[in-house]
Amino acid sequence: MAGGMGTWVREHVWEIPLRRYLSLLLAAALVAGGVFGARTLMHDDRRCAPGVSRPAGSDECVGVATGVYDFGQPRFHQVVEAIGRENKGLKSGSYVTVALMLPFTSTSTTNLNDIEHQLQGAYLAQYSANHDANGQSPQIRLVLANSGTGKDSWRPTVSQMDGMTRSADRLRAVAGIGQSTDPNQAAVAALTKLGIPVIGSSITADELANGQRGKKADPYPGLARVAPTNTDEARALASYTKAKANRANENKAMLVYDKPGDPYTNSLKQSFSTLMNGSPYQPVLEQPFTPPADRSQEGTTANTFRQITNIVCDTPRDTHTILFAGRHTQLRQFVNALGDRGCMDRSFQVLTGDEASYLTYEKELNRDALRHNLTVLFTSLAHPDAWLKNPPKTGGSTADYQTLQRLLKTAEHKPAGPIGPVALDDGQLIIGYDALQLAVHGIREAVPEGRSIPTLADVGLQWPQVKGSLKVAGASGWICLDEHGNPYDKAVPIVRLTPEGDSQFVQLAWPEGKPPGKDCLPPA
Amino acid sequence: MRTRLHGRGALFDADPAGLAPRLVGLVPGRHRAHPLEHPDEPPFVVLTGARGLGKSAVLDALQEAYRGHTPVALIDCSATQFAGPPAGRPADSWSPSAQALLVIAEQLAEPVTGAGRITFPRLMSGLVAVAAGGWGDAEAERIRREVERILLLNERGPRIGAFAGRWAGKVAAKVVAAATGAGPLVSGAIEATLESVAEGFTGHKHQKASEWYRSYPNAGGNAERGLILLSQHFRDGDGSREHAERYLVRALLADLGEAYTGFMAKMQRLGRPLVLLDNAQTTPGPELTAAVLRDRAEGTGDRVVFVAARRGEGRAELPNAVRRQLAEVARRTGWTPDAAPSSRALLVALPPLSADDTLHIVGALCADTAVPSHLPAAAHRLTGGNPLGVVLLAESAAQHLPEVSSLGELLSAEFRPAEDRPGSPVHQALLDRLVPAAYLEELTVLAAAHDHESACALASALLPDTFGPADVRALQTLLAEEGLPVVPGQFVGDPFVRTLLLLRLHLRDEDHASWRRAHETLIEHYAEPERAPYRLYHELALGDAESAVARLRDDFADADTRVWLRTLRFIASAPYFHAHDAEGRDFGGRGDRRAAVALGVTDTGYPLPEGVDAVLHLRVRRLLHALWELTDPLVLPDPKVCDRLRFELEQLSNLRPAAGALLWRASRDWPAAALAGRPIEGPADPEDDGRGEA
Repeated sequence: MAGGMGTWVREHVWEIPLRRYLSLLLAAALVAGGVFGARTLMHDDRRCAPGVSRPAGSDECVGVATGVYDFGQPRFHQVVEAIGRENKGLKSGSYVTVALMLPFTSTSTTNLNDIEHQLQGAYLAQYSANHDANGQSPQIRLVLANSGTGKDSWRPTVSQMDGMTRSADRLRAVAGIGQSTDPNQAAVAALTKLGIPVIGSSITADELANGQRGKKADPYPGLARVAPTNTDEARALASYTKAKANRANENKAMLVYDKPGDPYTNSLKQSFSTLMNGSPYQPVLEQPFTPPADRSQEGTTANTFRQITNIVCDTPRDTHTILFAGRHTQLRQFVNALGDRGCMDRSFQVLTGDEASYLTYEKELNRDALRHNLTVLFTSLAHPDAWLKNPPKTGGSTADYQTLQRLLKTAEHKPAGPIGPVALDDGQLIIGYDALQLAVHGIREAVPEGRSIPTLADVGLQWPQVKGSLKVAGASGWICLDEHGNPYDKAVPIVRLTPEGDSQFVQLAWPEGKPPGKDCLPPA
Repeated sequence: MRTRLHGRGALFDADPAGLAPRLVGLVPGRHRAHPLEHPDEPPFVVLTGARGLGKSAVLDALQEAYRGHTPVALIDCSATQFAGPPAGRPADSWSPSAQALLVIAEQLAEPVTGAGRITFPRLMSGLVAVAAGGWGDAEAERIRREVERILLLNERGPRIGAFAGRWAGKVAAKVVAAATGAGPLVSGAIEATLESVAEGFTGHKHQKASEWYRSYPNAGGNAERGLILLSQHFRDGDGSREHAERYLVRALLADLGEAYTGFMAKMQRLGRPLVLLDNAQTTPGPELTAAVLRDRAEGTGDRVVFVAARRGEGRAELPNAVRRQLAEVARRTGWTPDAAPSSRALLVALPPLSADDTLHIVGALCADTAVPSHLPAAAHRLTGGNPLGVVLLAESAAQHLPEVSSLGELLSAEFRPAEDRPGSPVHQALLDRLVPAAYLEELTVLAAAHDHESACALASALLPDTFGPADVRALQTLLAEEGLPVVPGQFVGDPFVRTLLLLRLHLRDEDHASWRRAHETLIEHYAEPERAPYRLYHELALGDAESAVARLRDDFADADTRVWLRTLRFIASAPYFHAHDAEGRDFGGRGDRRAAVALGVTDTGYPLPEGVDAVLHLRVRRLLHALWELTDPLVLPDPKVCDRLRFELEQLSNLRPAAGALLWRASRDWPAAALAGRPIEGPADPEDDGRGEA
């Protein structure tokens, strides 16, 4: 047949009006179906779960999970299911949404431990807010917002949350954030710029806080923190050692510090220097070391620390205290070096910041060193033993902590639980619980008279009021916020690294040197 | 598919469109719409022409071109199925027209690209009513057989397969029960049919169809009554039957119109349905034609394209028809009807093929054989472009080349239409299809005649006594009606047919007795001196050239040169079939002695009559033989003989200076005409009627 296919189509389809129109309809349907199918296919390809997708050029599922989604981490599964059940039970219109923003897709086991514990704590706070609050409104819906591990992976998540503030989700606060890293700092800046209140759980860096020295306006309006700043931690550590030094009259100290340093080490060194000026400590020696740019690498600092160890043994015999302003890898090398020191008969205590918590369960640490006249003391964000024995009269209470314990008990079974294996040592569960408690507090305080839902702007304005009788009685201690949203005189547990590899609570310390007053009012 | 017909582009061309696509609205062989030339009502096209002009081939090609694209029906009115009722069927319930309508509808019903079967509920009801009139004492099996075929016209399902004819079978059972049961037979059958139509199909269209016969005259709005009247009229015969038949034609056209009405039809069907009637000069062709034309003239329009083919011009039956040559309708018909019914017909005369078409056909049919270059031209010269003649000659050439190559031998050679069919001589095969079979014997004899008188002389001498002068006249009229040209001086006007008949006459007896007898009779018939050229013509046909040479030689000096040349041409046009000896018998071999004589080869051995101008005598003898050969349609002009002809005429012009101009002119014109295959004429003489009367 001359012309082949074209002729056939023309003569058997096109020339016959009925077939022509039917085939046009069919073709249109096929095209529409094809486009729809292709779009669905392309779309599905980037979709992980409701609200969560892979941005172009990335395999990471970021965004806000509006359904039940564990971000591919089986360890989150039980608690995510529990949150899903809790969210499902909420009546539409009666709740506001709080997002817990953390890097849920992290691959680091340490980070994932922290995240899991914070998630559990946040869920317990949500459960408590919805069930044990005597019918207070609004109800709280908790969603997981993954900021991802990339430099810019927080961006889609943040814009998504911005949209949720105006939708039926009624997002009113973002809790969590995690460590004091540059992307997190940018994310907080973006969120606060959008007017979304942020409650930082474990951020400690001085840069990620309002009201710091030399800064006129608050860079993060609407940011509240549960953890004290590095400076406050150092101050609390100093107040602890001051008390000890006075008692033992062993007042000579040596400072080993990271040079040139990073924000964390610098603020720690700064605090230690301040501490030694006009304190019982007489600076015997200041000894710098220079780690590699990436401070998680081993580098050549191990040699430097062996030399420093010799210097340590050469110090006057009444020198017992070594102040260490460095990151955890260097701390581990230093402790290992001290384990081999020549003067084993002399006892030393190493004081450092919360970086030391990374050394718990660290396999490369020479734990034997801790058995020979060597103690490593550091500050922690919270500790399960802090409020159980001889608690101070103010600044927190055993009862507040026992509330969390009761919740943990409830969450062992249905309907509240199960939420997976629980560990309290690292304080992350407690701090996650407190952060969400603070968020719920702010939201409920912002509800106008006669209404049940607060406006977004009003929530962030509540932080300066969180003091006095409006303080939050957290499981980690009282949370009273100053006018910049930073905790005032927050209880700082001093913790000791044990030869067994875990950490042991020593005692509570206070940035102001003593627990706050009963009214818990920061000075104006 | 493109038609393989040659020389019929005016009908089948696609671009620019020929007559067929403009009328049907479809490009031939394609499922592609084409604008209509007569969108309101197409002309009833009648192709005219004598036998062998390719009318049937055109209709076959039309059917082939449109089958599967639009409903097409092709019937041959001369087929035996229309000649009389089938065995066991009474004549009063059967007519050729009714049978033709049934066959046409069966063919039109077939599904086409894009659309399904067409149903014919109106025609079906009418035909059942007509058939029921003949079931008076018929057995159930015959009734069932008859009615089932008619009922299939209304079957929508497939013709083959499990469901074929289910509806028809069920209704047939009911009708048979009604017809064989008690009560009035015709009305019972009709009632059962109408009920089935109304029951089986609840659609609006079938509702309309079952009510169609309400408008039959005197039916009083009752469809059943209308059908009973139709049946009665049909049985009454004559004018009443004609009326009933016209109503049946109208029913067919109404059913077809219904199939082309409505939204779905417009969405599914392209073009118009096509009905082809071959041999429309025989019953039921004229009846169907008249019925359609009359309805159209009365305003009961239809959109069916009819193409009929008829022998002869049909001037008596279609007096007011618009007449055109095929070439004239190639781009537009220029047809506009007036009040007369026959003016709605458009008669298109099919012309003979051109020399080019002949060349193409011979080339196509002899594709595997080396064809002598002269053959196509010779075939065209002999047949005058008759398509059947050209095709059969070419097929014969394909079978016999290269052993046989002269036309005379090709015509007498055996021709097998197919491998497994008995053969017959080519000329016989041609005559079977070119002349009426009933008169072949008579025509074979009379072909030698020149006019009525000579024909009568031949008839009394060679034909049985029952064939008298009146029969001769009747045969003459028949030939004219068949579309054969009437040529003065020849009883059979068409030169090709005449040549074939003479060949048949020549070969009829082993010793050519009939042939000799015919010519001897005519020699006797033309005894008077003033009719001498005729006598000499027939003597020459018998191989005796002496008298003719003598007469021409003697006349040369004194006669009017123009008349002399005319006489020469007439005598030389005598038929010549393979060589004869002095006694008129075949001599062995296949040579043609004329050329030898013409070229002077035999001059030395030729016994000159005494006392004659030897040079002139021999010259005239050579000239006569040269011209005899060059005018023979069965022999191709030989350039050497042509040259000799020129030379001899030149020499003659020298002998008679007074008439030199004419002779010299002939010496130029005649060889040129002979070589070109044109008839030899002139020199220019408008009154020359070809008769060689001195």
